[in-house]
Amino acid sequence: MLDLYDKIEDARQAIRKHWDRTPKVAIVLGTGLGGLVGDIDVEATIEYNEIPHFPKSTATSHRGRLVCGLMSGVPVVAMEGRFHYYEGYPLKQITLPVRVFKSLGAELLVLSNACGGLNPYFSSGDIMVIEDQINLIGDNPLIGINDDRLGPRFPDMCEPYDQQWVDRTIAIARRSNIEAHKGVFVAVAGPNLETRAEYRFLRTIGADVVGMSTVPETIVAVHCGLKVVGLSVITDMCLPDALHPANVEEIIRVANEAEPKLRQIVRGIVAETASVRIA
Amino acid sequence: MNTLSDDSQQLNDHLASALQTALDRCSAHPGFTAPRAGIILGSGLSGLADEIADPLRIDYADLPGFARATASGHRGQLIFGTLDEVPVVAMAGRMHRYEGHSDDRVTFPVRLMAALGTTTLIVSNAAGGLNPVLNVGDIVVINDHIDLAKKRDGLLANQRLSTLLDSAQATAFNDRILGTSPLHLYDGGLSQIALAAARAGDFTAILGTYIATLGPTYETRAEYRMMRSFGGDVVGMSTALEVRVAAVLGMRVLGLSMVSNVARPDQAQSTDHQEVLDAGRAAQSKLRKIVAATLRHLIG
Repeated sequence: MLDLYDKIEDARQAIRKHWDRTPKVAIVLGTGLGGLVGDIDVEATIEYNEIPHFPKSTATSHRGRLVCGLMSGVPVVAMEGRFHYYEGYPLKQITLPVRVFKSLGAELLVLSNACGGLNPYFSSGDIMVIEDQINLIGDNPLIGINDDRLGPRFPDMCEPYDQQWVDRTIAIARRSNIEAHKGVFVAVAGPNLETRAEYRFLRTIGADVVGMSTVPETIVAVHCGLKVVGLSVITDMCLPDALHPANVEEIIRVANEAEPKLRQIVRGIVAETASVRIA
Repeated sequence: MNTLSDDSQQLNDHLASALQTALDRCSAHPGFTAPRAGIILGSGLSGLADEIADPLRIDYADLPGFARATASGHRGQLIFGTLDEVPVVAMAGRMHRYEGHSDDRVTFPVRLMAALGTTTLIVSNAAGGLNPVLNVGDIVVINDHIDLAKKRDGLLANQRLSTLLDSAQATAFNDRILGTSPLHLYDGGLSQIALAAARAGDFTAILGTYIATLGPTYETRAEYRMMRSFGGDVVGMSTALEVRVAAVLGMRVLGLSMVSNVARPDQAQSTDHQEVLDAGRAAQSKLRKIVAATLRHLIG
């Protein structure tokens, strides 16, 4: 029943065979944002199917490999391709990589995603730094008997995204002349996009953007004690009274266009970890 | 995880027989008296169990259908005896969905209580206060609830329905679930008795809406704001499931939340399980007074 601990260790050892540095930052690349890997001086590339207990990434425009190396001289691991609840994987398996990063020694987790904008002041192609989250997935990766070796039974969630890093990230964006918003991310299970009524509902309950990832990873990061930075790229605006049909190719195109901004911000975050204490 | 769901599936398959075995096992104990009232004791509130006279304690481990309570502050015993001259059964420790238990397992003790002849159920819990008028230690008499904890588990739900329909007893149960869900889950008369007991005891109790979440994470600030915006006064990880089944089985239900921490989303502070347990202990005397008034009403 408490087999998660051993699975983490299996995966850690498999990665260790390819790469022996201690990563400082772990990065998860969302839909259309995989190009960020270009900023890494790659030292090892590991296909997910070579890592025990990792699922296979099935989502559009998600590869399926772990890239290890240096970014601005800082050791990082990056997931090129992530897992989603709508692919049918249990949340415990989706979030396993986060626990593996922790066990490899990572201190900061940078999660990126492509999402829909609900806040009417946002525009398609904008970047939002996640300040807080709402879990509407209808599941939680921590359900089941708690393994106290991995984290507390009842994790506190009053600051899932480290406020100091939120401020630093906003400042990095400002210095790069990139407009970055700050707001609330709501996660739904998907895979269908929302109805107009659902968009109105999500806006009413206080969300600024909506997506199908990130929240489970953040919950597990909080559970195991990793600091989290969340970056959303708004790939389509979901304004219920002026709604256009969503188009996945278009979403990926916008994500690709916004990617240079995201890359610049992530580079800035990683560079900053070289000079400040993460925790 | 596999073991847990297999276990739950097994319970689904044998619900009626597990119920009968548990019922026989309880009533076979020397000194057993059929309880009139059931009491479910929440986190940090199990001290009340020590006041039960002539206690007959049965460990959950000795009863089919029960799971070991895994949350700290929960003991895992069914206690029969007399409280304020009323035959009662108290649960010290309960099952939660965040532990991985199926809905059937979480509600099994309530079905057992109903089968034993219990007609009144007092459900208590430690909860986070959303309504800004609430302070730590206040009591919320639950007027209604919103169940946000419906875990996606489609396959299991279908299997449950089909296996349940195999037995006559379960068919009757399903007819009641699907047919006549009660309009009021929480008994208005008992709520008034609880509020009056609070006035007499000089402590704060208000009527309110309980929001049930899946847990085990506490809420984010954004989630607190959301829950307050659609009408929640307190939030916790239990109660809703048990109450729904109790009400469907025809029990009169009194729900009591002890406010163990207050959500101040615009002035973030962390929530710690120990803090929840400590607040529970401090509020036990309040809970005790409300329970006494409720039981007095049952005899009177």
